[in-house]
Amino acid sequence: MGILRHLQHWLMGRGPQLLTTEFVPETHAIRQWADTFPWDALVEAVEQSFARRFPKKRPQGGRPSVSPRVLLALELLKHELGASDEDICQRLRTDVAVMYACGLREVQADRSQAHFVLPETLVQFRRRIDPALMEELLAIQAADAMEQGLVSPAHLLVDTFPAEQGSQRVTDATTLYKAQKKSFASSSRSRAQARRQPRPCVSKPRS
Amino acid sequence: MRGFGRQCRGQGKVFVNLVRQTERHLLELGHPIEAWTEQARTYLHQDRTRSQAQRERLLRELAASCDAHRHITKQSQRLTQGKQLAHCKIVNAYDPTIAPIVKGKSNCPAQFGRKTGILSEPACGFIFAHQVPAGNPSDPSYVLPLLDKVQHAIDRVASPKRLRVISLGGDLGINDAELRHALHTRGILTVGIPTTVEPINPQPSPDEVLDILNASGLNRRRTPHQVHLACASGYSRPVVESHIATLMARGAGAVRYKGLEGAVVQMGMTVMAHNGAVLVRIRQQRISKRGQKFRRLLGLRHHNVNQINDS
Repeated sequence: MGILRHLQHWLMGRGPQLLTTEFVPETHAIRQWADTFPWDALVEAVEQSFARRFPKKRPQGGRPSVSPRVLLALELLKHELGASDEDICQRLRTDVAVMYACGLREVQADRSQAHFVLPETLVQFRRRIDPALMEELLAIQAADAMEQGLVSPAHLLVDTFPAEQGSQRVTDATTLYKAQKKSFASSSRSRAQARRQPRPCVSKPRS
Repeated sequence: MRGFGRQCRGQGKVFVNLVRQTERHLLELGHPIEAWTEQARTYLHQDRTRSQAQRERLLRELAASCDAHRHITKQSQRLTQGKQLAHCKIVNAYDPTIAPIVKGKSNCPAQFGRKTGILSEPACGFIFAHQVPAGNPSDPSYVLPLLDKVQHAIDRVASPKRLRVISLGGDLGINDAELRHALHTRGILTVGIPTTVEPINPQPSPDEVLDILNASGLNRRRTPHQVHLACASGYSRPVVESHIATLMARGAGAVRYKGLEGAVVQMGMTVMAHNGAVLVRIRQQRISKRGQKFRRLLGLRHHNVNQINDS
């Protein structure tokens, strides 16, 4: 079942063919943003790193996995658009500009499929990215921008900024939710206990 | 609810009472765990009915639970700048690399989290490198690793034009004698790092330029023009704050991925997304007047709109 969840559903599509390059205007914000990245070099770095650290046990066989190009673009788009994993995977299914940003030039969608890429797949891809690879990706982007003459490293500024721990386990909202849940559970338990206890039988004095 | 942090970076709000009550409850609950651990360890050693593997597993689990409580207690009672933390403490038993961070210079309580370092260019805000260390190291310790990352990126460039870092700006936090010496050894001007709270003179006189070059020992390696540019770029709080604000707008204000590696990946992806947006602005010439002037002085490429449409 685990492997089935990773299938590239768009390969099975039989719907009408859509050319994203023709459909998304050149002035579209996502298209312009996506065109700034040196995708070939980035994907090559990801593939090399994954191949070195996670060598395949079986040489061939099975359906091809989701392309790192798609997953890397989704991960970057997620931060650009401020979307969650679920949202961005959903948008890949319905938003042609997101398809363009993910490098899908021809799409044959299948109406019955809810997702092209499952959010779980995106999480697993993210888990495989280590700090060294992250540094490499940023260096590739910076080198490409310098090579094009768009930016210069001559004069630089350094600064630090704090980022609070926003994990789901420790945020105030989750703590509040858990506390409310606990208090509700304890109150309902005490009510149930009170119901179970036999009521004292009070007999009316016979006159 | 209580707010904290710099106003310019958005307000962080916490339910102070709730956090305090939860934390106190957790610490009280786990207080006798040390004594219980010792007792359980003794019983386990005396118990002969269990197999060796089973005993080892139980001992391992016992040690792990004891460590978790010790970790929470340590985080909770840690001192920051000589003052005991009293408010806004958030402890995390699942991530031992989380450390208390002090939010800026304003008189505000400390909280737990990560302190990310960035190295950006002042004209447009392109971020060349970022660093998310474990714990809360001093600001000067960020600089050299960040510069190494920039050098790594420069080494990848195949352009015939020789690229190098000429000057570095920062705030008073990175004003460190050893760091200055290390930067001068690398041929980097440190005019942008202030030594006092006085603002940096953006237009130094020829004598001042000579003094700067002599003091840094770079009078043969750096030109007066470069010193002028370094002073002009200097350190401007609003410029850096604008770079940080755009990162915050992309969710860099809260670490949502798990652990140190998760934080590195999240910040890295945010920085790359930010850089993409910066490059779009550069290509469309949507840059501030200051940025345009600075780019002109640096001799950076000026894109024609027609060229962009043709490409």
